[in-house]
Amino acid sequence: MIDHFARALTQWPLFMTGLLNTIWLCASTAVVSLILAMFLAIPLMSHSLAVRTVARLFVDSVRSVPFLLLAFMAYYCLPAVGVKLSSWTAALITLLVYNTAYFAEILRGAWSHLPPQQEEGGRAFGFTGVRLLLYIIGPQLFIAAGPVLGNQLIQVIKDSAFLMVITIPELTFKANQIQSILFVPFETFIIAGCLYWMLCNSVEWLVRRLELVAQTRRAR
Amino acid sequence: MVDWGMIANLAGGAVTTLWISGISIAVGIPLGLALALTRVFRLPLLSQAVTAYVSIVRATPVVTLALFVFFGVPAMGFTLSPIVAAFITLTINTSAFHAEIWRASIVDFPQGQSEAASAFGMTRLQAFRLIVLPQAWRASLPPMVNEMTFLIKSSPAIAVIGVVDLTRTASRIAAYTYDPLPPYISAAFIYAVVVFSLVRTQRVIERMIVRRYGVL
Amino acid sequence: MQVRGLVKSFGALRVLDDVSLTVDAGETVCILGPSGSGKSTLLRCINLLETPQSGEIYLRGERVGFREEGPNGQVRMSEREMAHIRTRIGMVFQQFNLWPHLTALGNITVTPIRILKRPKHEVEAEALALLEKVGLVDKRNEYPIRLSGGQQQRVAIARALAMRPEVLLFDEPTSSLDPELVGEVLSVIRGLADEGRTMAVVTHELAFAREAADHVVFMDAGKVVETGLPDEFFGSPKTSRARQFLERYR
Repeated sequence: MIDHFARALTQWPLFMTGLLNTIWLCASTAVVSLILAMFLAIPLMSHSLAVRTVARLFVDSVRSVPFLLLAFMAYYCLPAVGVKLSSWTAALITLLVYNTAYFAEILRGAWSHLPPQQEEGGRAFGFTGVRLLLYIIGPQLFIAAGPVLGNQLIQVIKDSAFLMVITIPELTFKANQIQSILFVPFETFIIAGCLYWMLCNSVEWLVRRLELVAQTRRAR
Repeated sequence: MVDWGMIANLAGGAVTTLWISGISIAVGIPLGLALALTRVFRLPLLSQAVTAYVSIVRATPVVTLALFVFFGVPAMGFTLSPIVAAFITLTINTSAFHAEIWRASIVDFPQGQSEAASAFGMTRLQAFRLIVLPQAWRASLPPMVNEMTFLIKSSPAIAVIGVVDLTRTASRIAAYTYDPLPPYISAAFIYAVVVFSLVRTQRVIERMIVRRYGVL
Repeated sequence: MQVRGLVKSFGALRVLDDVSLTVDAGETVCILGPSGSGKSTLLRCINLLETPQSGEIYLRGERVGFREEGPNGQVRMSEREMAHIRTRIGMVFQQFNLWPHLTALGNITVTPIRILKRPKHEVEAEALALLEKVGLVDKRNEYPIRLSGGQQQRVAIARALAMRPEVLLFDEPTSSLDPELVGEVLSVIRGLADEGRTMAVVTHELAFAREAADHVVFMDAGKVVETGLPDEFFGSPKTSRARQFLERYR
């Protein structure tokens, strides 16, 4: 078994390529999706029933469909209606759409639990509209929803593995490639599993550190 | 107008998804309880092994796990059909999450009730069976149903190892009709219906429990 | 029930310092004292929920918690034996500690049926009679969440009685209740005392103690400071600490 591991590890450049692809896919998704989600959270909390319903419908639909199916829809259906796109673009679109919906729902949840005094206090000091959102409400939401957002980030990492099916060379794709060449599937996927475990734990660790920082900033 | 042939095909795929998921859930929940108990009762060696197992499985993508089972197990000498590999994958995955759900509701148990149980002459085992467990499973119902929806949403991983579930059926139809929109959109719709029903059920259960017992 | 020389420490803190107590059959003993005097810990030791560092506990003359054998002196009883002893000692908690997944009737019947293995119809009949006695027979199928604090505590009392215990222990049974609910619980306990049950009640309700107790025990800082008949204790306390205590609570 040890020699199998050794054999698998000779392909460490491929493992690294896969890992780095996974990381940058997930990191860029996280950043862009979070920003988009903040904007999506607004209609979700809107006073207008029509606006809220449309946003609700979008979020609930995306959240009830498997990620892989969504990836297939981006990869196969969009070209069928005339949108030409590479597998990378399809992958990014899927990741963005899917996670924006999830992040928006998380932020909405945090927002609905936010004591109204926060918003009132902000308005009392003259903050309105975008500034209110950016400086008063937004940071509070992220602090309150930190752990849940971190959880979703872990989910992003795990869902990224599905992208191997549309030939994105992320970690699982590479691991599969390696095991098909070298015939050491058991060891190869164990290594891949360990790498995912390290990734997810790093995110969890990061979230915990941010929680500590956030707690020192809270007035409690 | 409506392509009934396609609908029938997709229905077949949906049935496959549902029964494989269903059995994985049925095995995963009690298995999760067993795993949680090793940690609750602090069984030596076993509880540490379970903690590591749960931590690793929860961090592993379902696709990766599926490939690991499908390719890795035969490499150790056993033969494995895609369906059995699918069962094993989904059961391993969901049991790790259920282990955490069970553990959360058992470990945080209000001390006063355990003391009362003790004071009335129950041994630890009796108190667990009569007082802790009945409340733990009721309190766990909402997160368990939540995990079921996650399982359904992760189930397309088994398409990757060759099981003809709803997603793979949709892919096949798209491949030979060269028209990807109807099958994929219909498949999405079917998944949405299943997930919506589960989410609905979860909310109903949650409300019933709170109304009858309070917050457990 | 008899307690001799009980010593209990939590780490460096000595909570019970050579405490001795006797409750004769049919007697009601009220244990009074400021918070932190060790009253609750005393009850918990009697019911074997806590293990004292040293001291002896006797129930009807037999030693409980330890067996008198073994070359090294005392052998601690097994969990099973202790569980069995606890079925003979009834306990009512300050926080009621009803089990929320069972109805009032369920709470009362679960232990006699499942632990004492008594027949179901007999236990249920007795449980209904007990509920009637505490005035809650119409709430028999309600879950604890629907009951007020006073009602829950009365169910807890019925629950303890259903075990047909030799001794009843009450750990500040009314301290968690809203003032208007205290009376209904105290009258139930008073009724039990009048019936001649063997009871030890830890309480802050001095008026109740004066009326219901056969015997009063005053504790402070882990020691039994004074004991006596209720009229003597309340009328002319012998020690200065007892006097201070009564002054503060008058």
